[in-house]
Amino acid sequence: MTPDTQSMPGTAAATEPQANWRAVPVWLLILLLLLIYWGMIYFDQNGGWFNREVYAPFHSEKELAFYQPTTEGTDLRRGQQVFNTVCALCHNEDGMGKPNQGPPLAGSEWVLGAPNRLIRIPMFGLTGPITVKGQQMIFPAGMPPMGAGLPDDDLAAVLSYMRQAWGNKASPITPEQVKAVKVQAPNHPQFTPEEIMQVPEK
Amino acid sequence: MNYGPLIFLTAFCALAGSWYGLVLKPQLQVGQLQTTNTIPAGAAYPVSRPGLAREGSEVYRANGCAQCHSQQATQTGIVCDVILTDAGTNQSAVVSALERLEQGLSKIKAAEMLSKLPATVLHGVSKERADAAAKALKTAEAKTEVWILPAGPDIARGWGKRRSVAEDFLYDYPVMLGSQRVGPDLANVGSRLPDANWHLLHLYNPRLTVKSSLMPPYRFLFETRDIGKNPSPDAFQPSAGLQPPPGKEIIPKPEAKALVAYLMSLHADAPLFVAPVTVPAPPPSGTNAVSSTEAGVTNATPTNAPAK
Amino acid sequence: MTDAPSLHPKGPRLDVLTEIDASCRLPLFVLFLSAAAWLVIGSGFELIATIKFHNPNFLADHAWLTYGRVRPAYLDAVIYGFCLQAGLGVALWLITRLGRTAETHPWMISVGAALFNIGVTLGILGILSGDATGFEIFDFPQYAAVFIFLGYLMISIRLLVTFHRRRERLLFVSQWFLLAALFWFPWIYSTAGLLLLSFPVRGVVQAIIAWWFSNNLLCVWLGLMGLAAIFYFIPKLTNTELHSRYLALLTFWFILFFGSWGGIPNSAPVPAWIPALSTVATVLMIFPIISIALNFYGTLKEQRVKAASNVPLRFICLGLLGFIVSGLMNVVAVLPSAGDVVSFSWFTVARVHANFYGFFSFVMFGAIYYIVPQITGLEFTSPKWVRRHLWIVGLGILLVVLPLAIGGLVQGLKLRDPNAAFMDISKSTLMFLRASTLGDLLIAFGHIIFLINLLGVLKRFSEPRALASYAAATANLFHAEAKT
Repeated sequence: MTPDTQSMPGTAAATEPQANWRAVPVWLLILLLLLIYWGMIYFDQNGGWFNREVYAPFHSEKELAFYQPTTEGTDLRRGQQVFNTVCALCHNEDGMGKPNQGPPLAGSEWVLGAPNRLIRIPMFGLTGPITVKGQQMIFPAGMPPMGAGLPDDDLAAVLSYMRQAWGNKASPITPEQVKAVKVQAPNHPQFTPEEIMQVPEK
Repeated sequence: MNYGPLIFLTAFCALAGSWYGLVLKPQLQVGQLQTTNTIPAGAAYPVSRPGLAREGSEVYRANGCAQCHSQQATQTGIVCDVILTDAGTNQSAVVSALERLEQGLSKIKAAEMLSKLPATVLHGVSKERADAAAKALKTAEAKTEVWILPAGPDIARGWGKRRSVAEDFLYDYPVMLGSQRVGPDLANVGSRLPDANWHLLHLYNPRLTVKSSLMPPYRFLFETRDIGKNPSPDAFQPSAGLQPPPGKEIIPKPEAKALVAYLMSLHADAPLFVAPVTVPAPPPSGTNAVSSTEAGVTNATPTNAPAK
Repeated sequence: MTDAPSLHPKGPRLDVLTEIDASCRLPLFVLFLSAAAWLVIGSGFELIATIKFHNPNFLADHAWLTYGRVRPAYLDAVIYGFCLQAGLGVALWLITRLGRTAETHPWMISVGAALFNIGVTLGILGILSGDATGFEIFDFPQYAAVFIFLGYLMISIRLLVTFHRRRERLLFVSQWFLLAALFWFPWIYSTAGLLLLSFPVRGVVQAIIAWWFSNNLLCVWLGLMGLAAIFYFIPKLTNTELHSRYLALLTFWFILFFGSWGGIPNSAPVPAWIPALSTVATVLMIFPIISIALNFYGTLKEQRVKAASNVPLRFICLGLLGFIVSGLMNVVAVLPSAGDVVSFSWFTVARVHANFYGFFSFVMFGAIYYIVPQITGLEFTSPKWVRRHLWIVGLGILLVVLPLAIGGLVQGLKLRDPNAAFMDISKSTLMFLRASTLGDLLIAFGHIIFLINLLGVLKRFSEPRALASYAAATANLFHAEAKT
C-alpha cells in the first residue's frame, strides 16, 4: 500500500469530517465593520448616487453641469431643464407637440426662423390658427405668455435649446437679444401668427 | 431542523439581490436609453452604423478581435483651456488683464498674443480658474472661449477625446468592449486612423504598417487571384514587403472591406452632456491650428467669434 | 442494516459506503474522463494561441485557428469542459457520501453529462467556425448553450433530489456550498442566454450582464464548488475537525451576498454607480479570504507532517493557496490606484488563471485522485506519475501566473506614460510571455499525464469485468459446442 493516495476502502477510517463550533474571533468582526465603513464612504464618493448620467470622474450631476461647455451666456442644459419644466407640458419633451395643446417644434419654421419673431412668441403668447410645416393647426386655448416671467438668461437658454434639439440646427439666442425685444415692445397683447410675420426679421 | 430549504432560500435571496442590482436596475436605467443629442450642436447621437459597418462588426466578433483589443477609452480628470478669440476695442485693458492672469508675461509678449488671434491664454487649468480668467477678459471687452478638455493617459495617447459612455454603444450588437490591450484601444480608431488602405494593409500583414507588431496576419480575409483583363481597383500595389506571385493580384474579400468599414466607424469624440468635451471645428485652410468651437456656427448671425 | 447509519458515532458502515461509491461509479467515470479529455484539448488550443505570440505567422492562414478563435476555445473548453464537469462529479460524490445515501438513478447523471458534452463540443466547433457570441466566457453560440443548460439542469435536479433524500440530516459545511452552487448556475446561465442571445438587451447593458455572468461563474460558482471540496477533503485527509463552523458560515454568506456583485471593471462605459458597487463588493471579499485562511490555519496547525506524503492533500492545499492568492489579486485589481494600472494588462489573465486553474483545477485534481481509487477499489497504476503530475502542473501554473502578473504590472505602468510608444510596451511584455508559454507547455504535459492516469485505472477496472462478462456470455456457447 503506497502512501501516495488514500488507502483502500474497507480499511480506511470511515469517519466523515466534523466541524467544531468555535466562535469567530472578535477582531475579525471589527475588521468587517471597518471594511463596511470604507465601502460606504467609497460609494458615497464615487457612486454618483445611482444617477444615470454621472460617469467617473464626475461625482454628481451638479459637477457634470458645471463642466458643460457654455456658449457665450447661453447654457443648453439649462435650456433643456427649463423646457422640460415649462414648455414640455404642451409641446412634449421630444418637441413633437401634443394635439389641442401645442404644435410641434422639431423642424418648425417658427422655431428655426428669425430670432426677432421667435422671442416674441413665449414672451407675449400666441393665439389663433397657425400653420406649422404646411399643416394648419388650431389650438383653442392658444399659448399664454409662458416666457414672460422667465429671466432673460433662461428664456435665451430655452430658445437656444429648442433651436438645437431634435435635429433642429439654428443659431443660439442670446440674453441681449431677449432684452432688446423687451425694450422694443414692453407690453404687447397676445400675438396672432399673422402679426408675428409682420415683425421685421431684424 | 432541516436546513436544506433555508440554504436554498439564502442562495435565492443572494442571487435575486445581485440580479436586481446588476441586471434589472441597469436594464431599466441604461437599457432604455434613446438617441441623445450632442452638446451644443444638437446633432442626433449615436447614429446606427451603416450596413457595411454592421457586417464588419460580425467579422470583428467572429474572429475574436476583442481578445486583444479593448473599445473603451477612459478618463481620469478634466481640465480647461482659455482661448482669446477677439481682443475687442480696449486693447490696453486686455493686455493688463492678461498680465494679471499670467505672472511674468511681458507687455511685448501680450501684444504679440493679440496680433495672432485666436491664442491660448491658459492651458490645462481648473474650470474655476478658467472661468475667472474668462470673466476678467470679458470685462476688458475681449471675447474668449473656455474649452473643456478631458484628461487621462488614454486621451493623452490619442485613444479618444473623451471617455466612452453608454450612448456610444447604443445600437451595437454584440457590444465587444474587450478586457485586454495586447493591441491598442479601438474606441476612437475611426478618427485616429481614417485611411481604409492603411487598415487593409495592416490586416493583410500587420508588420508592413507597424514594425515588430505581435498581431497575426489575416491573410484569409484576402484572396490571391489571376489578374484578369483589367486589374482590380482594390488590389494591393506591389511594394517591398508585399509581392504577389507573378500574374496574380491580392484583393480584399468582402469580409475585409466590411471589417475596415466597421473600424472606420468607431469614434469616441462626440461631445455629449454626460461626457463634456469641446470639439474645435476644423479650421478653414490657411489659419492657425486653434479655431473657434463648433457651437452654433451654422447660421448667418453667429454669436461666437467666426473662425479666422 | 438494523442500526441507522446516522446514529453511528464514527460514520456509516463500510458496506454502505461501498454501496454508495458503487452507485456513483458510472456517472463519475463519464464526468471525470470527459473533463480530463477536455483539459487536454483545451491545453492544445492554448499552446497554439501562446505560440502565436512568438511567431505570429504560426498557423495564421487558417481562419479557424486564428488567435481570436483559439483563445476563447481554450478558455471555454477548460471552464465548461473540465471545471464544470469535474465540479459536478465531485458534487455527486460528496452529496451521496455526506448524505449517506446511494444515487438511485445514476443513468440520469450520465445522460446529463452526455448532453453537456454535446453542448461543449458544439460550442467549441461553433467558436472555431466563427459563431462565437462575442461575450467573454460566454462564447458558446445559442445552439450549444441549450445543450449545456439542459445537461446541467438534468444533473443538478438529480443531485438536488438525492440531497433531499439524504439519511444523514445534519448538514456538513460542504453541503451548504454544494446546494448553493447547484442552484446558482441555471439562473445565471439562463439569464445570460435570454438577455444576450435570445432577446438581446440594448447597448452596454449587454456588457454588464456578460460581466455579471462571468463573475458569478468564475468567482462564485467555482468558489462555492472548490471550497465545498476543500472543506471536506482537508479535515478528512488529515483526520481532524474543521476549525470553526461559524467561520465557514460567514464565508458562505459573504461569497453569496458580496461575491455575486463583483465583476464590473472601473473603466466600464456605464454610470459610475455600477462599477462602484462592484468595487465595494470585491473589496469586501477580503473578509471571506481571511476567514478561510484562519479556518484552515486552525485546522492544519498540527498536521503539517501528514500533508507531505499524500498527493491529493497536497493538491487540495495548493488549491487553497490558489484561492487566497487569486482572491487577493481580484481585490488589487479593483482598488482605485492599483486597479487603474493593471486593468487592461496581462495581470487580468494572470488572476483569472490563478482562480480557475491555480485554485479550482488543483482542488479538482486532488479530489479526483482521491475519489477514483475509492470508487474503483484500485490504486493508480503508477503513483510516481501521480506525483509527477503535481510537480509539473504546480511548476507550470507558477510559470504562468507569476510572469503574467509582473508583466501586467510593467505593461500597465508603461501604458500610463503617454510618451511610451505602444510597440515598445508590446516588446517589453514578450519576455514574460515566453515564460508563460513554458508554463503552458508544462501544464499541457501534465494534463496528458492526468488523462493517462485516469485511463489506466479505468482499463484495470473494466478489463476483468469485461472479460468476466464475455466469459459468462459465451460460456453456454462453448458448453453447447463442447456437447455437440
